[in-house]
Amino acid sequence: MLAGRTPPGAADCCRRLLAAALAGGLRPLLCGLPPCWATARRAAGQWQSPGLRVPEAAEAERLMQQVQRPGVPLRRFIVCPQLARTVQRCLQGGTSPGPQPVLLECAPGPGILTRTLLNAGVRVIALESNSAFLPNLQSLENSLDGQLKVIYGDFFRLDPLVTGTVKPPAMCSDKLFETMGVAAVPWRADVPVKIFGILPQRKERNTLWRLLFALYECSSIYRYGRVELNIFISEKEYKVLTAKPGEARAYQALTVLWQVGCEIQLLHMWLPNDHLCLVRLTPQQNLFTGGLKPTNSANFVFMVKQCFAKPRSRLTDRLNSWSLDNGGKLLRELEIPKNAETRNLYPEDYRRLFEALQNSNMFTETWFHDEVLESIRNINL
Amino acid sequence: MSLLRLRAALLGPARLRGAGIPWSVLRNYSSASATEKARRNAICERTELLEVLKARVKQLQASNVPEVTVNKVELAPLGNDKYQDPLRKSAAPGPAEEEPAPRGRDESPARPSSWVEKLKKEMYIRQLKVERKLSIAASQLALEGQTKAKPKGKAKTKAKAKAKKSLKSPKAKVAAAWSQSHAGPQGVYARGKPRVAAVKEGAKAQRPRRVLEDKDSSQYKILQQTIQSNLECFLFLQQPEEAERFLLLYHRSPVKRRLLNVNAYNIVMRSWARKGHLQRISRLFSMLESVGLRPSLDSYAAALECMGRDQSSTKAIWRCVQQLKNDGFHVDDLFQKCLFEEDEKEKVLRAIRIVQPNYQLPPPPNPQTCKTSLLQDFYSKEKMVSYPKLDFSVQELQERFQQQLEMELDNTVTIESVESTKPLTPQAIKARKLLATLRSQWRDSILQALQRSKNSMSKLKTASGYNILYPYLCLLPDEEYVDIMLQILNTLSPQGESLAVLARELGSKVYNRYITQRKLRSRQLEKVREVYGDYIHLLAKDSQPNEYLPREYWEKLVGEAGFGPSLNLKDCSWPYMLVMRLGMHMLELLVHAVKVPRNVLNPRLEPKLIPVLYHIYSFRSSWQVGLIKPHPIFSQIVSDAAETLLTFNSSALPMLCPPVPWTSPHFGAFVLNDTKLMRLVDGAVQHQLLLEQCPLVNLHPVLDALNQLGNCAWKINQPVLDIIISIFNDKGNEKLDIPPPISEAPRPSAAPSNSSTWNKSQKHELLLCKKKTAEMHSLRMDALYKLSIANYVRDKVFWFPHNMDFRGRTYPCPPYFNHLGNDVTRAILLFAEGRPLGPKGLDWLKIHLINLTGLKKKDALQERLEYANEIMEEILDSADRPLTGRKWWMNTDEPWQALACCMEIAKASRSPDPAAYISHFPVHQDGSCNGLQHYAALGRDLIGAISVNLMPCNVPQDVYSAVAQQVEEFRKKDAEQGVKIARVLQGFISRKVVKQTVMTVVYGVTRYGGRLQMEKRLKEIDEFPEEYLWEASHYLVKQVFNGIKEMFSATRDIQNWLTESAKLIAQSGRTVEWVTPLGLPIVQPYYRSRSTVLNCSMQNLSVKNSNSSQKPDTVKQKNAFPPNFIHSLDSTHMMLTALHCLRQGLTFVSVHDCYWTHALTVDIMNQICRQQFVALHSEKILQDLSEFMLEKYCSPGRETRALWQKKLMEQLSNVPKTGEFSLKKVMDSTYFFS
Repeated sequence: MLAGRTPPGAADCCRRLLAAALAGGLRPLLCGLPPCWATARRAAGQWQSPGLRVPEAAEAERLMQQVQRPGVPLRRFIVCPQLARTVQRCLQGGTSPGPQPVLLECAPGPGILTRTLLNAGVRVIALESNSAFLPNLQSLENSLDGQLKVIYGDFFRLDPLVTGTVKPPAMCSDKLFETMGVAAVPWRADVPVKIFGILPQRKERNTLWRLLFALYECSSIYRYGRVELNIFISEKEYKVLTAKPGEARAYQALTVLWQVGCEIQLLHMWLPNDHLCLVRLTPQQNLFTGGLKPTNSANFVFMVKQCFAKPRSRLTDRLNSWSLDNGGKLLRELEIPKNAETRNLYPEDYRRLFEALQNSNMFTETWFHDEVLESIRNINL
Repeated sequence: MSLLRLRAALLGPARLRGAGIPWSVLRNYSSASATEKARRNAICERTELLEVLKARVKQLQASNVPEVTVNKVELAPLGNDKYQDPLRKSAAPGPAEEEPAPRGRDESPARPSSWVEKLKKEMYIRQLKVERKLSIAASQLALEGQTKAKPKGKAKTKAKAKAKKSLKSPKAKVAAAWSQSHAGPQGVYARGKPRVAAVKEGAKAQRPRRVLEDKDSSQYKILQQTIQSNLECFLFLQQPEEAERFLLLYHRSPVKRRLLNVNAYNIVMRSWARKGHLQRISRLFSMLESVGLRPSLDSYAAALECMGRDQSSTKAIWRCVQQLKNDGFHVDDLFQKCLFEEDEKEKVLRAIRIVQPNYQLPPPPNPQTCKTSLLQDFYSKEKMVSYPKLDFSVQELQERFQQQLEMELDNTVTIESVESTKPLTPQAIKARKLLATLRSQWRDSILQALQRSKNSMSKLKTASGYNILYPYLCLLPDEEYVDIMLQILNTLSPQGESLAVLARELGSKVYNRYITQRKLRSRQLEKVREVYGDYIHLLAKDSQPNEYLPREYWEKLVGEAGFGPSLNLKDCSWPYMLVMRLGMHMLELLVHAVKVPRNVLNPRLEPKLIPVLYHIYSFRSSWQVGLIKPHPIFSQIVSDAAETLLTFNSSALPMLCPPVPWTSPHFGAFVLNDTKLMRLVDGAVQHQLLLEQCPLVNLHPVLDALNQLGNCAWKINQPVLDIIISIFNDKGNEKLDIPPPISEAPRPSAAPSNSSTWNKSQKHELLLCKKKTAEMHSLRMDALYKLSIANYVRDKVFWFPHNMDFRGRTYPCPPYFNHLGNDVTRAILLFAEGRPLGPKGLDWLKIHLINLTGLKKKDALQERLEYANEIMEEILDSADRPLTGRKWWMNTDEPWQALACCMEIAKASRSPDPAAYISHFPVHQDGSCNGLQHYAALGRDLIGAISVNLMPCNVPQDVYSAVAQQVEEFRKKDAEQGVKIARVLQGFISRKVVKQTVMTVVYGVTRYGGRLQMEKRLKEIDEFPEEYLWEASHYLVKQVFNGIKEMFSATRDIQNWLTESAKLIAQSGRTVEWVTPLGLPIVQPYYRSRSTVLNCSMQNLSVKNSNSSQKPDTVKQKNAFPPNFIHSLDSTHMMLTALHCLRQGLTFVSVHDCYWTHALTVDIMNQICRQQFVALHSEKILQDLSEFMLEKYCSPGRETRALWQKKLMEQLSNVPKTGEFSLKKVMDSTYFFS
């Protein structure tokens, strides 16, 4: 069903969504296959606007080999022009006419997608953490008239919790947004910035959790409004994000929290080999209109996590174990059946439950705060 | 009828699971294709089923119910059997008629005569034959039946009820629960599998039973243990009817019956024997016969006891004795081999004397003597010297024993903490009052909750046949359970505690009290008291010298005592899972019962009762841990009350009388508290089994060494303790290792009240503060315990009973305060016995002091002594004005021991005749890199031997510097040849960089780990260029290994040989075992652990259970063997030294490779230490090991001659070559231990 969207020959081409190994040749570069060259050449030259030449896959490969160094974790890049084009279309699709928000491209690497985007007339900010890629990007930046801005930094090491000076490429989000020249907008306003990135494979889940905490606290990137994330994640995590209540393994705390927090849209799917999904996560406009506030949302996150620690337990038992003595009444009011299991509640039910608990003052008890803090620490370190 | 039979057969899986044979075990028998098919089939069934269900639910649900509900009900049957179906619990015993043995639940126990049994068996086998024909089809049918029936209620409920009912052992329950806990197809899969297996297993005629027992003997063992511990409970509770009912549940099922061995029947016999019901016993005999088991000696003992009790006819007794003889036993065996409780022995004798009026008890067996060549002198009767006397009279020791006994009878000891000297604030008084009120309320509510739960359990018992925990909740008076739970509540820290830890603690506390009760009940205690009363004559100063060792003397006394109960209890330990389950149940009661008014601290709030304990999860990256936390209100009250009473288990305190000598793996140490000779890793039983199988005489040296270590009397160094307590009660001192109180914990700087508005750095600060506070709390509590116990025994003389770990390393049993502790605890300990310093004693004290400072490590003893004399003024100043003077002692490596030593030197040097000064001060001698010393000796490495001080030298050698030098040489060579990294490293190679790696090489550090260590060290050097870290550490670790190889050429070979041998052994599916030169059998208790899930209503507890699979953990077996082997050697060396010191009349204790004695006897101890090292390594240790292993793992009798075996044989026979170091040199090496 989803494979139907990709053009014929995609099976070959998709390998060009490169799991480019920077790590001491741990993984062979997959971009040098002859059939693809042809496609790449055919694709080249179609671009208008700044009319940049998009490097071919082989060129990109050479570039990447230059920056190989032992001990650096694996990173993925897009090196196939065709995939770059697909992604560019996805990124631009569905947006309303009118002035487009700026697009922050995380870890562009050899810059294939960057050029594709620029050619399509998108204003791009490239955030690159590997200094080896910087010179190329910077010369591109200089050749253009402000359409591209290159910043040295690592999106996945934004706002480290450890105090002290932040050593680049780690950086603070306020610094980043200042450099980007993007000001904070109210939550209900339109998307101020679009972000494209490929989640590092090893830290995928962790990154999702960190983004989630930032979202609910309106901190980090979400301090500037409803930042739209367009990210490649593994199919496995995608299934988790979009799971339905009762789906035994997939429906998790992460599911509930993302579904409450964001509209989740599948833009594109690469099934062969890497099983990656390009997903758009747009924060809900009405996220903070009810009882949920950035100030109390950590409690919400914590509550959901506690509930899913034992997904088959009954909700009443959970409430009781938190020293809540009138759990039964609360559930009656919410019309949640007394014997409902935590894994069978819809995300929206969790939100309602939280709001009700908020009114019952359960969260004013100090112990909950302590635990919430603890859980934040565990996710951040 | 045939239909019924078929149905019964089809219900097989449930029955089988009930029997507690986990499906995974049986997987081996089932055919893969059948199970696969069954599984697929099951999935289809489930999908269909879901559809049906959905429709049904829609019918039933009222239209206005929210969608969620529908969803939920649909899903409920998918996996979770546990919560959804209350019907099941109250299920009537419907399926009785479907059982092969229909009388299971009859009110009066059935009286199966053997022909009924036989008939039943035949029927069953016929059923099995039918079944086997049906084979796969049948199994599918069964699945269908099960799955379909599930939601419909009736049929399924029956099957379930049956399964439930037959879950006898916790193990069984766990196994079942485990398979259930997997959602989706696996659940069915699990159910499908044993089905086929059951058929094959059931038809045992074709399959030798041995397979099962061999395959999973440990698993099997645990199940048996569970059954037996349950039966023991009934025996203890004097409920023979219950015991028999329980036994029959197993006996009647041909599959479950396999779990019964003769011991299980014996326990039931004993319960009847105690009541004098001979008929019941004879019926049990016929049951034994019907299942093909032979009565054991214990069976006859029970029968004869019963006959003795009810004065049976001569003829009956005669017949019984005749049968006993026919079975190959002898009447004397009864009294020599059986363990008796209460008056059992007398009753048996009475019965025997009815038929043989002149029968005399056999004389106690002649004591055997250990033949180890290493201890020939030690055990030779000609050189026997009398055992050293303590400075106490018989009377005094008797009184101390009485005190100790009373303490242990109370189970717990409550002592004043050292903080009690602080004045009480009004707030504290108020809080204490409040706490007292609350506690009495809690006591009531816990008691009620306990009684309620017991009540409902006992009802359940009549309904569905059996509840696993019920008997365990009846063993003690209800109040004792409540006490135990309240104790747990009192010790809970504000941060909370993991569920598993609390459950284990609760469970084992019940177990310990039960053991105490059993010892009382069986009158074992009376006998111990009697024997101990005589035993102390060996130790008391006012009695005749005795030429016995403590163990020998004790054995002699026991032999002479003749009558009464045996001192060893019949094995009655509870399986780990059972302890956990019991603990979880009590924890649940506690969590539900203990409540506090919410407004107790803040009267403005509504007066509502809220629970004191709550259950939450803590998330650690990918896993989660269940915690029990006290409500902040509770923690607040506790902290306000600042209570100063501490309650400990009586076994946590040192003993007030000399320990009971170890005489067997089951008996020794405390008077009542159950102590294991070998500390067990949770749940592992293999080493205990090994000890039991080992001839007792082989254990004599080890037991004697432990007795020797435990018999050392201690006292408190009061002046030092007082100084420490004064600092402790003031503000602590982190530099001096006295943890400050929590009030000194860092506080976040002015945080706003609402935590949600904090920014990142504030949150971070707060987190750091909390972390620090939590750390401080645990450090503070640890110190508080130690100091309070020390303070409690400050005027007393006390003893530390010892036991050992699986490698034979010895440890004092009391956990908090002992001589293995840190500097602070060691500093407050003195030998109770004093000895004059003698001519060289003062010098030794001074040298010891310098050793404690960490200075002058590379200097000769003489120089250290001279240095001490130089700084005499500082030493005296430290001794006289420890806190107000120049405080020289504070800047040493071990400040508190140094201070204590300063004081001792001051006192001695000021006494009119220092040589006559009576010193209680222990002087230590440390091995230098003891592991490498053993390696060097094993390999006879010349250079290595020099560097670890096996060779006499003028100054102590330092192996770390030597290795660093060697590495530097390599580096230079490489640098000359243009190796870049070698050049980068110029000037960075030092002792410090290589030390950790060299030290850990002995303990099997790998290149990987070594590189990490190196990287850490290099990072500490600021000037070192960061970009070369990886390369440099990689290079360095390679060179260190090369360096060690160069210096200890044979060491690496030996290590490799050990590792490779262990690898091959583990790969062949066996655990690595060996025997130390002293005869202690050792098995590495590393198994591929499998977590078993305990289903408890509060939380499913995943319990690591290394026993459920017998397969060894190859990696651990392999990597741990070299260090474990070396540890077994160093413990052997220590024990040899201890025993020979005993013969020379020395006081001796050890902290692994650090030996302590009086200053007077340091020289003698050093000599013995060296002698014994030479003696130990003069044995052909590696040769012996190789022979032992060849015999064990490659004996020609084994049928398979696989390739691996050939390889293993080659490996084991190929003992590494050794160097030319002459071992005798050690005798003259001053710095060998120094």
